[in-house]
Amino acid sequence: MLQQVIDALRRQEGVHDWCARHVEKRSTQYYVIGARPESRRVATSERVVVTVMNDHAPAAGGPELVRGEADVTVLPSDLLRLADKLSQAVFMARLTDNPRYGLPGPLRHPVVELADPEMQERPQEVAERLVGQLTRSLAAEKNVRLSSAEVFVEESHVHTQNSRGVDSHQVGTHLLFDWVLLAAGDADEMESHVAFERRRAADLDVPALAQRYAEHARDALAAGTPKTGTFPVVVSDEALDELVVSEGNSPLILRSSAQLKYQQISPWEVGQSIFTQTPSGDAFTLYANALLPFGTRSGSLDGEGLPGQRLSIVENGVLTRFWATQRYAEYLGVPPTGAFGNLELPAGMHSFASLLEGAGPLYHIVAFSAMSPDPLTGDFVGEIRLGYELHNGQARPIRGGSIGGNLFDVLAAARWSRETAFLGDYAGPRAVRFPQVTVAGA
Amino acid sequence: MNWQALPPELSNASEALPTLVAEMERKVPYAAALLCRNGGLQVQVRDREQSVTEIAPSQGLVLSAWNGAYFEEMASSDLSREHMFGLARGFMGTVRARLRGAVRPVASDGSIDPGQAQRAHYATACVEDPTALSAKEKLDLCLDLQTRARKLDPRIVNVQVRYAETLESKAFVNRARQLSQNVLRLRLTVMVFVSDGQQLQYDWVGKDASGGLEAIRLSDDDLRRVCESAVAMLGAKKVPPGMYDVICCPDVSGVIAHEAFGHGVELDMFLKDRARSEQYLGKPIASPLVDILDDPSYLGGHGTYFFDDEGQISSPTYIIRHGVFERGLSDLYSAHRLRVPRSANGRRESFERKVYVRMSNTFFGRGKTPVSEMIESVERGVYLEHSSSGMEDPKGWGMQVTSQYGVEILNGKLTGRRFAPIGITGYVPDILQSVSAVGDDFKLSGGTCGKGHKEWVPVSSGGPHLKLKARLG
Repeated sequence: MLQQVIDALRRQEGVHDWCARHVEKRSTQYYVIGARPESRRVATSERVVVTVMNDHAPAAGGPELVRGEADVTVLPSDLLRLADKLSQAVFMARLTDNPRYGLPGPLRHPVVELADPEMQERPQEVAERLVGQLTRSLAAEKNVRLSSAEVFVEESHVHTQNSRGVDSHQVGTHLLFDWVLLAAGDADEMESHVAFERRRAADLDVPALAQRYAEHARDALAAGTPKTGTFPVVVSDEALDELVVSEGNSPLILRSSAQLKYQQISPWEVGQSIFTQTPSGDAFTLYANALLPFGTRSGSLDGEGLPGQRLSIVENGVLTRFWATQRYAEYLGVPPTGAFGNLELPAGMHSFASLLEGAGPLYHIVAFSAMSPDPLTGDFVGEIRLGYELHNGQARPIRGGSIGGNLFDVLAAARWSRETAFLGDYAGPRAVRFPQVTVAGA
Repeated sequence: MNWQALPPELSNASEALPTLVAEMERKVPYAAALLCRNGGLQVQVRDREQSVTEIAPSQGLVLSAWNGAYFEEMASSDLSREHMFGLARGFMGTVRARLRGAVRPVASDGSIDPGQAQRAHYATACVEDPTALSAKEKLDLCLDLQTRARKLDPRIVNVQVRYAETLESKAFVNRARQLSQNVLRLRLTVMVFVSDGQQLQYDWVGKDASGGLEAIRLSDDDLRRVCESAVAMLGAKKVPPGMYDVICCPDVSGVIAHEAFGHGVELDMFLKDRARSEQYLGKPIASPLVDILDDPSYLGGHGTYFFDDEGQISSPTYIIRHGVFERGLSDLYSAHRLRVPRSANGRRESFERKVYVRMSNTFFGRGKTPVSEMIESVERGVYLEHSSSGMEDPKGWGMQVTSQYGVEILNGKLTGRRFAPIGITGYVPDILQSVSAVGDDFKLSGGTCGKGHKEWVPVSSGGPHLKLKARLG
């Protein structure tokens, strides 16, 4: 299918550059409610995603040619009208006037581990085994049962070619394991709901995670409301991933992108502090790492063919570079780096236990309802799904109420744990302590 | 282009569906087939950047088979006749092998009702057909909006205009029904970014609908207001945490109806023992002033469709009437297992995903109180504007809704003092019981909704202004 599309692109008038990605996916899905299956599914898909670039004179006049680009997706049934589809793409690309830019050429792409052979060969078995591990682990947990679980075991093959000579094939696997546990109290039930994404089944320690989340469900039964005021707050594990990565929409990722700098939306400057206040916490250093083995955002190349890299983005609170696709690298006159990849932070200096020390009250948040700091301003408000109020080492479960602030302000004063975690798209300290965060509670 | 007719790829493939279903039903008690295609056009204009591009299409076939205990499905993007029949044969082989094998499903839960016989094709009605405009004219429309907004204030650093036109086509077949539909959805959004040299802020205005261009026009007043609002965000402060009398704009009311309440009455949550609302069925849960409905047949709503992905014809569901929780929303599986009437809420993100119980257009019913009267009745409180996110918690029924900003109310008047962003939290029944006035206005806002953190489908939510008590932070 890819070769047919490329042949047609080469024949198509008005195509001055192109990039084509042939994507084939197979998804094996298994759903259970309690002890019984709810559904089993297998879905396969194939497509070629084509980006077409056209150079033309600008509508407003002028000597310099401008460039327009348009994406079209070719599905199997589109092959019969491929020429029409590509001609439509050229037509759309001709409509828009942007400063010219290029595409990456044939660079060496590093080898990155992206695929779990077992998930490729026996997806249904992996899905059933994971649910079995969860069920068996919960059998040992007092007053906790499985409400529901969903497992998606996916394999993808992506073959990328472009008009400048990139020709690379990448195979990856992706695992989603979503579960809900219910804890029964005297007159009530509470749940804990979590979804894990990894590339490799072995990266999920299901018995340990089941034990942790069973405890969360039981603690939710006894949870009270936090106090209102400004307190030290510790955020750990999946809640920390939500706060700093936010499914790739983190203000740390967006503000360090050349695209937002070009659009005059990012206020950051290379060589300057990313904080508006004087840092008072641990030195903050950030890497964009596309080479992390089995990272869910890892890749030997990105969507347009730039090699994956591990990049220093922030060192000791100072922006060292913008990460940039080819287009925005050329616009800003900086080296192209490719897509951001996974967010990596170096291990901190403090033990997790020491971050929880103090006379209190101190709040340790282990689950938010949803935590997505504003991708541009960094302002955040998140309801506490489960946390603990600590006084002199004594913990009381809490839920409800919220914490709020600005991500950059709290990071400027943060202290990080030396224990680390790999959470799919995040590798770094397992926990962070912020000295002063506003808590809206009782 | 006649977008109201089923696209040729789906039309051709749909001819095979009755035979496919009949063949599958030789092996299993119930089978159905669904063809889906989503696609469209997107235009974006920012300072120094423009794009006109296709919205990545998704197209495929889903074969569903009831094996006596649960649904199994096989889905593929290949719609060639040969592949579809091969897929069905392979699928039935897998299902039969499982029925014979060690992993035998539990005893039958009874047969699936395919519904009354029906054949129909539906398409969205619109006055100003967007497909009558060329892509160039749509780009010009966006460029014009961008130019007009850009001039409104010197503190503006960028303006982004986005136009999206999506056509969702579906064909559903079971042994009783042959249905097809084309739903055309439009969105137009203007996002204004401002800076005072120290900080960056933004606000947006948008309109959306299933329908024609007449539903998404933005006026000069709309542009002026969003620019003023973005500039006002530069002076916004954090709200002092605490309990407040609150007036919610329709957008925020809608997120309360959808996120805080609606997800908890999706009946798959009952099957999973995740719904606290089950305890309230047939009982008062809200102030008697409160009605909440979900209506996929609501004319022009962003979440509107004619039938759901399991062939159930759309109609409104009264979830809460006069404060009493009457019924939840269902898909085929949950209705079958719980033995309750179906509602048309079985929806899937694409052919690659399973059907879940999903909302459509979810809203509070209109009340009788003028909005000005509601504001005048607040001694000290906050007017909440623009929801930016929300998250469900069906078991704990804790509410998380984030409002882009709020404006202080003192002695019945808006002071202009702005707080941003604002988290609204509380226990859902407490919040619904606290509703003390329901506005005489009504507005829906569109967006996409996930189940947990995935499975995105187009929806809308809204209603009138509400006066209630909530914890802000």
